[in-house]
Amino acid sequence: MDFLADLFKLLVFPGFLFVVNFGLFLEWVDRKIYARMQHRVGPPWYQPWLDTIKLFTKEDVIPEKANPFMFTFLPVLDLAAAVTAFLYLPFGGFSSVNPFPGDLVVVVFFLTLSTLLLFLIGWYSGSPFGRVGSLRAVTQFLAYEVPLVLSLLTPALLAGSWSISTIKIVMAQNLSRFLPVTLLALAVSLLSLQGKLLRVPFDAPEAETEIVAGPLTEYTGRRLAFIRLAERAELVVGAGLISNLFLPFDKVLGMLGFFVSCVVVVFGLSVLRASFARLRIEDTTLISWKYLIPFSALGMALAIMVRG
Amino acid sequence: MLEKIVALSRKASPWVAHFNSGGCNACDIEVMATITPRFDVERLGIQLKGSPRHADILICTGPVTGQIRERLLRIYHQMPQPKYVVAVGSCALSGGVFHGCYNVMGGVDQVIPVDVYVPGCPPRPDAIIAGIAKVLDKMQEDALSKDGREREVDHGC
Ligand code: SF4
Repeated sequence: MDFLADLFKLLVFPGFLFVVNFGLFLEWVDRKIYARMQHRVGPPWYQPWLDTIKLFTKEDVIPEKANPFMFTFLPVLDLAAAVTAFLYLPFGGFSSVNPFPGDLVVVVFFLTLSTLLLFLIGWYSGSPFGRVGSLRAVTQFLAYEVPLVLSLLTPALLAGSWSISTIKIVMAQNLSRFLPVTLLALAVSLLSLQGKLLRVPFDAPEAETEIVAGPLTEYTGRRLAFIRLAERAELVVGAGLISNLFLPFDKVLGMLGFFVSCVVVVFGLSVLRASFARLRIEDTTLISWKYLIPFSALGMALAIMVRG
Repeated sequence: MLEKIVALSRKASPWVAHFNSGGCNACDIEVMATITPRFDVERLGIQLKGSPRHADILICTGPVTGQIRERLLRIYHQMPQPKYVVAVGSCALSGGVFHGCYNVMGGVDQVIPVDVYVPGCPPRPDAIIAGIAKVLDKMQEDALSKDGREREVDHGC
């Protein structure tokens, strides 16, 4: 029975099925907000699911120049990494599958892993566009990983712990005292999450007007579907992490609170996406090193001072 | 049941790629106008994709010149099955004003199979949307019919 319960946790809740469906729901929220900001009606709620089903039924092409093993294996691994990260997040009153002191680092590690896998995905597709996209993805990864991790570690410093559930409790107890530092860290982490997920304005690695589709150029059918699902799952993990550390509505509202805080995070990301145009790759790295990293370091220094 | 869902998903999520095989660019500007927020084609699930590998529908504008023939064929073969082609503009239908030029092969259907023709020089965005909507019905029918539509399976492109 134990085995079955574990399998259920891995595959259904809070594992694969839940993360993927919630990710597709957040994609719809994102696209709808984007459409409303452009005065459009936008897609119906089932659009992301239909997109995914369609991709799974398309022809599966392996280009001659691609490495067939990596071409098949990497998209699945990418999705697996992102979904595994979610298993370590407590949410909506549930504790995570395997809570231990230091699970924050594990979640951040799996997020990093899926960005690195995106690099390999482009590299082994055998297309020059894929390789240029991969190199850009790595360049951006070096720039945005630092502020993201620093701003996520600010609450950890405030709470004096690396366990997400402990941070949540301490943050809720000292809400007003920690508020200025938390707001700064929240702003930095939202911006760098946008950069990390390669969304507009930081989507130079996937710039469709310059390099076709970056790392994803050669992928068709179900491989593309896996990569897209992995991106959605990364969005869920990123939004879930931020909502756990900064917006713990689920302390009062339970499951609903978790959904609300994730939607709030995605709302912030969509507003960013709708109001800016794409930056060039040198500008994105410059923004990170010039503004985001100093501010995240400032946040950490303030956190040390506030904690006393 | 499953077939119905697949057919619906084909119909509801057409991703288009856009290719100009030698036209005067006015048709391309109209195609670009079609995907602006004013017409909101995302209602129909239409998204413009950069890579032909991701696309279901190829929107072709312009006559096919001798030089671009190879490229057009290559892009067509790069698309995964099932794939559909919409020819937009008089040039893409027959060669239009360029008909009979020494370097022009004629319409797009001289090189690749075309499913829907949208006449006009250039056609308005609403005409292009109507053309794509026609293809959507065809996609759904093909997905429901037994033999389906695997025109040819091309590997290694
Ligand atoms: S149909 Fe008319 S507008 Fe379109 S490419 Fe030909 S000449 Fe230009």
